[in-house]
Amino acid sequence: MDHTRRYERLRERYLNGGLDRRSFLGLIGAAGLAYGVRTPFAGHALAAAGEVRFDGWGGVVSEAFRKHAFDPYTAKTGVTVIDGTFGGGDEYLSRVKAGQPGEYNIAHLSGVFDYARYHDLGLSSELNRANIPNLDYVIPKLVTVLSDYSGGALSAVPYDYGTTGIAYNRKHISDDEAKAKGASLLIDETRKGKIGGWADWRTRIWMAALQTGQDPNNATDMDAVWDAIRKHRDLALKYWGSGAELMSLLAEEEIYVTEGWSGRIYALQEQGHDIGYVDPPNGYGWQECLFVIKGSPMAECEELLNFMLDPATSIAVAEGQNYPPALDPQKVDLGAKIPTLPAFDPTGTLSGLTFANPAYWNGNEQEWSKTFGRVQKGY
Amino acid sequence: MATVETREARQPWILLAPALTAVALLLLVPLAFIAVYSFWLRTATGADIAGFHTDNWAEALSDPFYRDILLGTLRIAAITTLVCALAGYPAAYFIARSKANRAILLLLLMLPFWVSYIIRTMSWINILGVSGAFNSALLAMGVIGQPIQMLYNEATVILGLVHFLLPFMVLNVYVSLEGIDETLEQAANSLGATRWQAFREVTLPLSLPGLAAGGLLCFVLAAGTYITPLVLGGPTDAMFANLVFEAIITQLDWPLGSALSLMLLAILGALVALYNHFVGMSQIARGFG
Amino acid sequence: MSGWALIRIWTVVVYLFMFLPVAVVVLLSFNASQFGAFPMTGLSLRWFGELWANEAILRAFRVSFLLGALTAAISTTLGVLAALALVRYDFRGKNLVSTVLIAPILVPEVVLAVALLLFLRFLQMPKSFALLLLGHVIFTLPFVVLVVQARLVGIRRDVEEAALSLGASPRQTFFAVTLPLLAPAIFAGMLFAFTISFDDITGTLFWKPGGVETVPTQIFAMLRNSISPEINALGTVMIVLTVGLPLLGAAIARRLGARTR
Repeated sequence: MDHTRRYERLRERYLNGGLDRRSFLGLIGAAGLAYGVRTPFAGHALAAAGEVRFDGWGGVVSEAFRKHAFDPYTAKTGVTVIDGTFGGGDEYLSRVKAGQPGEYNIAHLSGVFDYARYHDLGLSSELNRANIPNLDYVIPKLVTVLSDYSGGALSAVPYDYGTTGIAYNRKHISDDEAKAKGASLLIDETRKGKIGGWADWRTRIWMAALQTGQDPNNATDMDAVWDAIRKHRDLALKYWGSGAELMSLLAEEEIYVTEGWSGRIYALQEQGHDIGYVDPPNGYGWQECLFVIKGSPMAECEELLNFMLDPATSIAVAEGQNYPPALDPQKVDLGAKIPTLPAFDPTGTLSGLTFANPAYWNGNEQEWSKTFGRVQKGY
Repeated sequence: MATVETREARQPWILLAPALTAVALLLLVPLAFIAVYSFWLRTATGADIAGFHTDNWAEALSDPFYRDILLGTLRIAAITTLVCALAGYPAAYFIARSKANRAILLLLLMLPFWVSYIIRTMSWINILGVSGAFNSALLAMGVIGQPIQMLYNEATVILGLVHFLLPFMVLNVYVSLEGIDETLEQAANSLGATRWQAFREVTLPLSLPGLAAGGLLCFVLAAGTYITPLVLGGPTDAMFANLVFEAIITQLDWPLGSALSLMLLAILGALVALYNHFVGMSQIARGFG
Repeated sequence: MSGWALIRIWTVVVYLFMFLPVAVVVLLSFNASQFGAFPMTGLSLRWFGELWANEAILRAFRVSFLLGALTAAISTTLGVLAALALVRYDFRGKNLVSTVLIAPILVPEVVLAVALLLFLRFLQMPKSFALLLLGHVIFTLPFVVLVVQARLVGIRRDVEEAALSLGASPRQTFFAVTLPLLAPAIFAGMLFAFTISFDDITGTLFWKPGGVETVPTQIFAMLRNSISPEINALGTVMIVLTVGLPLLGAAIARRLGARTR
């Protein structure tokens, strides 16, 4: 019985004197409670067919997705898109791990190592590339990096890329100095108390490898790496944990130098802050992908991915989040703003960027993330 | 007669049934899952192996790293609780004794809760930061020539915690003060006691359950916090809940995270047992009085 | 007399401390620029405009409000009943029972969150709003029990016994004597439950079904990009709604009262 009818019937009984006022109000309250709990959310509770769940970073990104991809997709296919958000990749993986098969469908994941982590946990699926014609626009290198890891099959499509470079306050640090010192600026003793850094073990180890003159994808002297991380810790004012913190620490001049995400630093520059950004040699390059988790309705997901890779959608999202799209600039006209974004590669080969080697990083994840947890806290 | 007695004996359980059912189903059973999990092992790929391994417990109990941070956490929680009690009691007393504005004062007390916790915590950066309100004001007045670095140390963590927990303390103390008959204090006065004596001999002892409840809440919540040290702490100001959070979320090591959280749970549980013991005692004492 | 003056000054200081961050949030919601808090560069209503246009935050606000209200209702009911049993009856295992009832706040929330999810997966139950609600009830329950219990201890039994001896039934006594005496505690418990539910982030992140956002999770998702003063604007609106309106109401009532007198 639907709620309106139930209410009508109750009201009738009340008017006829079958119910005293108190129980009438009580029943209305109970009905309201049941309505409030069930109806608006009942659809989400049961992941029935005709529905795809997408989880991303929220904010401008998901607004762009909604407007340019989800709504047209729903209009065309009748399949609704439920969009969820997460605050970070690790937290999201915990949720997926604790969730049920089919509960989560598509996720906006970071780096190749996330792809590898999900694959190693048995969460990958196999996309039928024929159903995603827009995949042809994507920079080939970004695709092969993923499919190589999962033995030729593809469980995700690349979506955007960026770098983690050195961001500095130009009032206090000159461009020449930043260029010359690169990652070593983060352990410059004269800047004690004015240094920041991301509380992320991968980034810290990567930067420490650069500081100790090692290959970030194959550091041989880990003791030196940990010492460099300790040194950075002692000189640093603060480990930041979100883009918001990164931006406010720099903008409010709490710190003069930190490594930073290219898109966020670009946003600061856009707002008129005098912040410089440099990618040191072998700087940390990364890509983000749209990953389809095992147990998802594949045909629907493939169609949605195709919508999201549509150049119009990709470009709108890229302009919103300040990270270049994974589209090949040789094949697609990316407009005026994107070529000005940091990390943008007009050749479409991405030969200037160094990506994390997933086997190397994930193989050491358990040990290093734990060691970093201790070093970070003063041990 | 026997039926009345059995009914009398059954009554508390009827009252308790809904709450206990909820806690049992939504907390105790899930905690049992966690307890089982703490004996599993995590592999390098991230999958967990079922079985009975005591490795996590051995690590959690023997490693000085965990012990040091646990002790540090308890210390921070204790300082926070003390500051809350000292700051909160007089305020609660004032609210309880000011007839006219009581409702408004209580409403105002809860006001900071309407600004999201994260934003509230982050707003301390706008107050104490280099370009924050304090530094700007001091600079403008010419008191200092350079901004002072005030943020990101243990003191700011405690400051943030006190700000978060003070209303819990005040409300608890207020609730118990409000329940004390004011004429008792007046009676003591008329019997020749000074106001201070009357307060110390009559009101303070009667309000102790509220103070204890507030203190317990503050301590437990402070000991379980992880966002405040993340936002307001420096690199080395981590607390125990950060370790649990990192084990579970960042390192995806649920088995170890389970062992660590059960450890924290055991210590806080012991504290509650103490609280029960003493509050129970005071109730008995009142029965005799 | 001077003791009372000291207490008054102390209370003012405590309130100033409590309001400082709130004042900053309200002030910055009118700030023209996004960063570089003080000195402020200019006044603007821009963030309120953006808030009004931000459908996602407004939706999250409605969800949070509904969730908070339902949580408060359920957990206060459960909590008051349990507190009555704990204070008014002597039975075996009482200490154990009260420890169990406090337990939800002893467990770090992230653990509670994961544990409950593991249990649900075991039961093969999908996530739903009802689960989110139950989760909130569980960790607000201890607050209600503690607050109400502290208050109940303070209510002297002889008042109730007087009512009983004057011929009132236990039920009458409860509604006519105990409940009015309990009202402040019930109110405080509900307020606690509502605000804690309204402000919760960790558990909500894990329990919320797809497509459902509360204000804190919405803010959390926005933090990756940057802090938007829209959030400050939302805080300002909340404060105006929760404090400004009741204050205004009280003032009007007082004025009307004065006039009729």
